[in-house]
Amino acid sequence: MSILQTLTQLEARAVTLLEGATCADDLETARVEFLGRKGALATISKEMGRLSPEERAQVGRLLNEVKQNLEARYEARKSAFERAALDARLAGEWLDLTLPAPGPRPAPLHPLTQIQRELEDLFTSLGFAVVDGPEVETEWYNFDALNIPPTHPARDAQDTFWMEDGHLLRTHTSPVQVRAMERFGAPLRIIAPGRVFRNEELDASHEHTFYQIEGMMVDRHVSVGHMLYFMKSLLAAIFSREVTVRLRPGFFPFVEPGFELDIQCLICGGAGCPVCKQSGWVELLPCGLVHPNVLRAGGLDPEQWNGFAFGLGLTRLVMMRYGIDDIRHLAAGDLRFLGQF
Amino acid sequence: MRFSCNWIRELVPGLSASPAELAAQITMKTAECEGVEPFAPWLERVCAARVIEVSPIAGAGNVLARIDAGPELGERQVVCGAPNCLPGLLTAYVPAGLSLGARQIRRAVVSGHESDGMLASGSELGINRDDEGVLELPATVSPGAPLAEVDFVIEVDNKSLTHRPDLWGHVGMAREVAAFSGLSLRDPVDESLLPRGSGEWSIAVHDYGLSPRYSALVFENVSVGPSPVWLQARLEALGLNPISNVVDVTNLIMAELAQPMHAFDADHLRGHTIQVRRARDGEQFAALNGETYTLAPRHVVIADDSGAIALGGVIGGAGSAIGASTQRIVLESANFDAATIRKTSAELKLRTDASMRFEKAQDPANTTRALARAITLLEQVSPGIRLVGGLLDAWQPPPQREPIRLPLDWLADKLGLAVPAGRVRSILELLEFRVEEAEPGVFAVHVPSWRATKDVTIKDDLLEEVGRMIGYAEVPLEAPLQPVRRPWVNQERLYHHELRRTAAALGFAELLNYSFVSEETASRFNMEPGDHLRVANPISSEQGLMRISLLPGIHRCIVENAKRFDEFRLFEIGSEIHKRSAGELPDEIPHLMAALYRKQGDGAAGLLELKRLAEALLPGAQAQPADARPYEHPARAAVILLRGEVLGRLYEIHPSLVETGRAAVLDIDLKKAHQMGSEPRRYKPLRRYPSSDFDLSVVAGLRVLAGDLIAQIRAAAGEACDEVEYLYSYRGHPLPDDRQSLSFRITVSAPDRTFNNEELTRIRNAVMDALRGRGYELRA
Repeated sequence: MSILQTLTQLEARAVTLLEGATCADDLETARVEFLGRKGALATISKEMGRLSPEERAQVGRLLNEVKQNLEARYEARKSAFERAALDARLAGEWLDLTLPAPGPRPAPLHPLTQIQRELEDLFTSLGFAVVDGPEVETEWYNFDALNIPPTHPARDAQDTFWMEDGHLLRTHTSPVQVRAMERFGAPLRIIAPGRVFRNEELDASHEHTFYQIEGMMVDRHVSVGHMLYFMKSLLAAIFSREVTVRLRPGFFPFVEPGFELDIQCLICGGAGCPVCKQSGWVELLPCGLVHPNVLRAGGLDPEQWNGFAFGLGLTRLVMMRYGIDDIRHLAAGDLRFLGQF
Repeated sequence: MRFSCNWIRELVPGLSASPAELAAQITMKTAECEGVEPFAPWLERVCAARVIEVSPIAGAGNVLARIDAGPELGERQVVCGAPNCLPGLLTAYVPAGLSLGARQIRRAVVSGHESDGMLASGSELGINRDDEGVLELPATVSPGAPLAEVDFVIEVDNKSLTHRPDLWGHVGMAREVAAFSGLSLRDPVDESLLPRGSGEWSIAVHDYGLSPRYSALVFENVSVGPSPVWLQARLEALGLNPISNVVDVTNLIMAELAQPMHAFDADHLRGHTIQVRRARDGEQFAALNGETYTLAPRHVVIADDSGAIALGGVIGGAGSAIGASTQRIVLESANFDAATIRKTSAELKLRTDASMRFEKAQDPANTTRALARAITLLEQVSPGIRLVGGLLDAWQPPPQREPIRLPLDWLADKLGLAVPAGRVRSILELLEFRVEEAEPGVFAVHVPSWRATKDVTIKDDLLEEVGRMIGYAEVPLEAPLQPVRRPWVNQERLYHHELRRTAAALGFAELLNYSFVSEETASRFNMEPGDHLRVANPISSEQGLMRISLLPGIHRCIVENAKRFDEFRLFEIGSEIHKRSAGELPDEIPHLMAALYRKQGDGAAGLLELKRLAEALLPGAQAQPADARPYEHPARAAVILLRGEVLGRLYEIHPSLVETGRAAVLDIDLKKAHQMGSEPRRYKPLRRYPSSDFDLSVVAGLRVLAGDLIAQIRAAAGEACDEVEYLYSYRGHPLPDDRQSLSFRITVSAPDRTFNNEELTRIRNAVMDALRGRGYELRA
């Protein structure tokens, strides 16, 4: 049998073994037998020296072909085995990803914080500074400076928490108007979110502690038209949709004229529904042009400067947004409630 | 304040708006209406009827009455139990099928006889509170006539009327309605009726500051009895209790002109001088409501020769009250200082329809108008009544006020709408302001007396008048022009928000507690009540003090939530309120307090998790054991340090304060933390040569701190030290009971080479020598 025939037969046998290997070990055995350093192909290669130059060239070519063929088959089989082994291992690593993650869950922020933060960002984008004021205030900032004379009913004991030293718990965020004018002068754009207090009995819709956002813009020529434009833009941003607003007279000593701002009911679009008590309108916030006495209290000349101011009931906004029916939940610290936000 | 639509219609002839439309217009132009409701709508179907014949029913208290219910309904038979159901009586008949509110009147058999409808009392009809017998109607009413026409009541929010003394009467509201409807007001007052001349009575006002005006009339030949049904019904519709014809007239005028009045029984007064003076210190006053008040000079009284007969502007006296036997009256129509009345009424907790009006600063010009009106009405309800003497009127007219200058360009600038001069003028004139042209483009506006007491004083007030009458819907929306300027940034607030986010991301739920703490709770945490700012007028003891720590609130939340959860994390950012020296506002110091509760376990893991929170909130923070406070676990308390500054505390709440489980608390002073800021960062070149490490186990006493050992190792290893890592601790064999072993991994490197073995050994020995020098043993 010529060496070429031997080679051809050897190739056929090797192919059978490589392709028929049922495990990586069988494959390795076959590789050693044919492709190993002392394997069949190596043996033939050693014998080539004995051949004539023509035969050598012929056998050498065939030997190369066979070697490449077997090596390719070996590599293919080998990676198939490896892949199968990997697949098998990974399949064994099946993991139930519905299992809970270890460690504490990220927790919610208080709904008041969330909405307050949203509004702070919104106002900041409109060029407003976010200003703080003290919760324990002087009578002057809370009342006198806001054009609330000593005889105004808002000063009655049933509304205000008085401190024994004569100070009081601010009954609104409006004192920050005057503090901000003193601190920053004019022109001015500020909001003042914060905690306010009214001396009231607690029930589902009354709290002695609640949250407001005061807003104020002071400049050279601020008109009712400017205020309306601003309010409409602001409310469109708050409610993420166009809103229709209307102003009607409202009395607040620190603004003149003073307004109640209503928005067309977002539930029924103004047709009338239980939410708007069939009126088509929902009372949203008090606002007005800053009273000259308040500008004076803030150190500004009302002939030079004027502005508008408004108050947003943050607590009410939170209750509206989430449909909270009992205001007392907000300060109860009950994780069953807080966990929902 | 309740307004009768019928009454407003009477005052504004030609008004065609429906009650609902009227309420909507008032809301948009004047004051907020809270609702519209019909008043006793059945009254138009209840009619007058005459009792023809009454026959007793054996064995029953009732009688069988035959009545004449007028041409339409004819004769009817009803069973009636009223004692005044006698032949000839003219009363109210309710036909069967009608509902009186919730009560359905049906044809029924009563006491064995068929009753076709019923005869009704004033109380059953809702027109007064008399349930002693069936309603008695005057002979002038014919059988079959409906008792009253249907009326609607508009309820206006009192808060929206506090600045408008004139709107506390129907004429004031009717003036508004007339103005925005383009109609005219029909003034019900005829001042020409006021009598001139003098008589035996006089008035002495001691202090016009307290009572700017006191006017009165004296009447004789008065007959006191029930008011006509229309008057009773009207008062009832407005929520005023009908009492007697004389008193009802004063209340009706109050509801009409906003002028409170009071009638004294003249025969019960001593002397003929009505004095308006300050009360004497300790003066006793027996009021109409049955109470006796001890007064002081800050109160104003009306007095006769013997003493106080009324608490001025608030309530009349019991001794001179109108009764059935009253024949002569002194009718007071006065004006009082708003602040005095408000203080008196608040102090004595005595809020009356009169005080509510006077505290809004009523118009002194109104007193004699009310008296003129009373002449007309008293003649109607008490036929034969006669005036005695002339008008009594003591007053000091207020100084003439300058008109308000109203520049029209200013008005346009502030409103955002140029209103033609003619329109401005007509609006103001409809509201009875007097308008002159001071100079081209500037009006001089005279304020009517009823708006001048405190309501309208500056041009901004006139802007409101014009604006609301035009309607703000006419004002075009215009974007404000604002300077391009970055607003001031509230770094402290942003810092708090950042901390909130970090704490929440680590599993701590945010909550908000009240700023109040009770004295009892403060004491429970060994906080001195005297260190707290105290609330002068708390509703309950829960609001007695302002918190000087967030702990009481957080503790309450721990205890409450522990009833439902085995493990939880929570935090609050809020202010501690600390007293400062007298006169100064307190120091409000924002704090963050976080808590971690676990029902199971020994609490150690919770404390360390809170320490991790502290490190997340304050990068670089360290805990250093500290003496425990009384509410802290005595062996588990530390201060939180940042770069040597104490910023807060980390501790376990004393187990005696937590029923089951363990609660750890972290408290950080955010004012200090924010002031410290973060340390400026500087880049250090990365080390180019591999570092080396070695482990050491230190045998030490049980309370030796790992943190101290790390610091000592770090110091001993010197510049080369990159990191000292705590690995683990060990107790038990072969160590004695009072010893533990703490293992550390020390990583060292040099900028220019990798340490060789010799160098490493040198460093290691230096560390070991240092530790041995401090008395520690080292384990292999």
